[in-house]
Amino acid sequence: MLSLPQLLGLGSLGAGGLLTGKAYQRLGDIGEQARRESSELAETGMEQSQFRPFTVTTGTGGALSTTPEGGLTVGLSPQEQAFQQQMFGGAGQFYGQAMQPTQEREQAVFERIRQAQRPEEERQRLATEERLASQGRLGLRTAQFGGAPEQFALAKAQEESRNQAMLSAMQQAQQEQMQQAQLGGQFMGAGYTPQAQALNVLQAGLPAAQMAQRGQLYGAGLFGEAEMGGLEALLGSGLGQANLYGQLGTGLLSGLLTPQSVGMGDGITKIVNPFFELLGIGG
Amino acid sequence: MAQELKSINLVAPAFKGINTEDSPLAQDPSFAEIADNAVIDKRGRIAARKGHSVITTDKTALGSGTIRALHEFEKSSGSNVVLSAGNNKVFTGTTTLTDATPGGYTITADNWKIVNFNEKAYLFQASHAPLVYDGTSVVTLSSVSGAAGVVQGNEVLAAYGRLWVTGLSTNPSVVYWSDLLIGHDYSGGTSGSIDISKVWPDGYDEIVALAAHNGFLIIFGKRSIVVYQGAEAPATMSLADTVAGVGCVDRDTVQYTGTDVLFLSHTGLKSFGRTIQQKSMPVSSLSGNITKDIINALQTETSFFRSAYSPEEGFYLLTFVGQDNTYCFDVRGTTENGSYRVTRWPSTGFACYTRLDNGDFNIGTSSGISQYTGYQDNGLGYRFKYYSPSLTFGDASRIKILKKLKPTLVGANNATVFMKWAYDFKGTYSTAEFTVGDQVTGFFGESEYTVVEFTGGALTNQRSLNATGYGTSVVVGLEAEIDGSQLSLQEINVMALMGKLL
Repeated sequence: MLSLPQLLGLGSLGAGGLLTGKAYQRLGDIGEQARRESSELAETGMEQSQFRPFTVTTGTGGALSTTPEGGLTVGLSPQEQAFQQQMFGGAGQFYGQAMQPTQEREQAVFERIRQAQRPEEERQRLATEERLASQGRLGLRTAQFGGAPEQFALAKAQEESRNQAMLSAMQQAQQEQMQQAQLGGQFMGAGYTPQAQALNVLQAGLPAAQMAQRGQLYGAGLFGEAEMGGLEALLGSGLGQANLYGQLGTGLLSGLLTPQSVGMGDGITKIVNPFFELLGIGG
Repeated sequence: MAQELKSINLVAPAFKGINTEDSPLAQDPSFAEIADNAVIDKRGRIAARKGHSVITTDKTALGSGTIRALHEFEKSSGSNVVLSAGNNKVFTGTTTLTDATPGGYTITADNWKIVNFNEKAYLFQASHAPLVYDGTSVVTLSSVSGAAGVVQGNEVLAAYGRLWVTGLSTNPSVVYWSDLLIGHDYSGGTSGSIDISKVWPDGYDEIVALAAHNGFLIIFGKRSIVVYQGAEAPATMSLADTVAGVGCVDRDTVQYTGTDVLFLSHTGLKSFGRTIQQKSMPVSSLSGNITKDIINALQTETSFFRSAYSPEEGFYLLTFVGQDNTYCFDVRGTTENGSYRVTRWPSTGFACYTRLDNGDFNIGTSSGISQYTGYQDNGLGYRFKYYSPSLTFGDASRIKILKKLKPTLVGANNATVFMKWAYDFKGTYSTAEFTVGDQVTGFFGESEYTVVEFTGGALTNQRSLNATGYGTSVVVGLEAEIDGSQLSLQEINVMALMGKLL
């Protein structure tokens, strides 16, 4: 039969174990609560720091709208759209011309050059004819030159001029082709001008949006910090409570296990010793 | 009281040649009405022409034909060959006429124009394919290796390093020229042609002859002349001058005298001498003393014209072959009117001429080829004639009674001379005949004292003949049969009584 001291010892042992278990349970609950509330805080922070679309409207009626996903929609005014269509139409026309074969244009340019050259050539031919006639050489035929050397020289010069005209026509046609391609590019670029201008306006509007976003992000930061402060306080208090329970339990267990020489001490020792004996410790 | 004989001395009669243009009464006694078979000798006297000595000994190939073209082919090696044509054949050689006609080649006329060019002789005549002689054989020009565009013309000229051909019936106004130094290429190199149909000064003409002189190419039309300068480079030659109204009758009348070009126009013999001096083209007439005779002769000529120039003899011969009549123009000087002194050689049978490189003057006849030498025509004599114009002795109103005629002759060895006179334009001549004695010259050391007298050259013979009749004007003539010796008429002294006034 257990003596009183033994009973007291058993009571203390039970209380100490309960308090220690309470402290343990308390620590686990506080950690779970902190994790849960941190997740909630993160979700809240996500919501608070999420991008908020905005729209920039230009003075010519165009509008640029952002999407929550970060996309950008450029809207042009009817005038701008008409201008863009006109430019794109011109670009298509020039590109179309640039892609055409140059032979017809070469021939056309060649004919234009020849039309300019023919009157002078005819004057030169008549002058040569008159000169040959005055020299009595109209009827001259030579194996070396065909006719008179002057006629040969004139014909040669005219042929060279004709050849030069042909080459010039080719160069002109190619230059025109290149020019049409360049014009097509310029018209194409001009067609994108309203859009580019709208984007430029977006650039001007971005600082304002960024300022708003910075405020939003700052508030979210403060909120997060505040929430985190609360969580930390909660964790601190929970830890404190757990420590308190732990210390009480520890105290109880320590008193039970410590030998008493006078009075109660002996009694405790007497109480605990049988515990140690049961545990096979001391003796 | 007996009247004094008046002496009219005709010194060097007819040394100005024939004049049939001026009025007989107003003529200078220095002219002659007739001067047949005569020339102007080296001392300016009228003299008998030389005869011709036939060189050809074998004229079998010629047959009964006549040599109508003569030409000396000269090579740089000096081996000259005489080319001739007659009886529709082409011959080489002089003593023996060797038929050189190409095989299978048919000739229908003997009016060849032959020129030397670059070691070959080229033969052209109308309607015949041109021939070429290279010193060994005569072949058609088109058969020569490299021949191209050969032109079948009637006139050919070798000048300025080319052959110039014209006279095509289809293109009568075109002159063709060969490639440089290549007489058979007319379509390559620097060959060419010029059509001057738009150049004729009077609108239309046809080319008759060509001549080259002093850098000019002279193109003779029938009625006009076109002159090109710078013909050394024909591609750039240009018209220098034109002459309207004066042309050339025939290509064979054109002759070079070294400083001049002579040609026969429809109005007589012309020259370019003044052109050269004055750089203009008015041509002077050289036959002004016989213009009508020349015109009449060329109008009636139906055969060939032939001409020749001999610097050794100092004459230009113009023969109307069909009429067998030759005019001899003395080119050493002109009379006051700018005409050459001219004599006439009728009925000689001369058909063509050529002057050889050694100075010999060859003549084509029916006997073959002859040389202008001696004083016989193929061994026979010929008649020298001189007749003065009508002489009035300075007073046409008085009757002249000829008493004596005293001709002074030089040479005329053993010749029979007929002194003739007539009055008042009547054709009835009185004649006094005499025979000149032996006029053989004797030189010291060559002849014996007993054979001949020593002389210094041709002997002079002076006779005094009694004349008869009377009249206001007198024609004095002298005829002599030339048969081996020269004859020159130094002077005729006419002794006359001046009668009453009519």
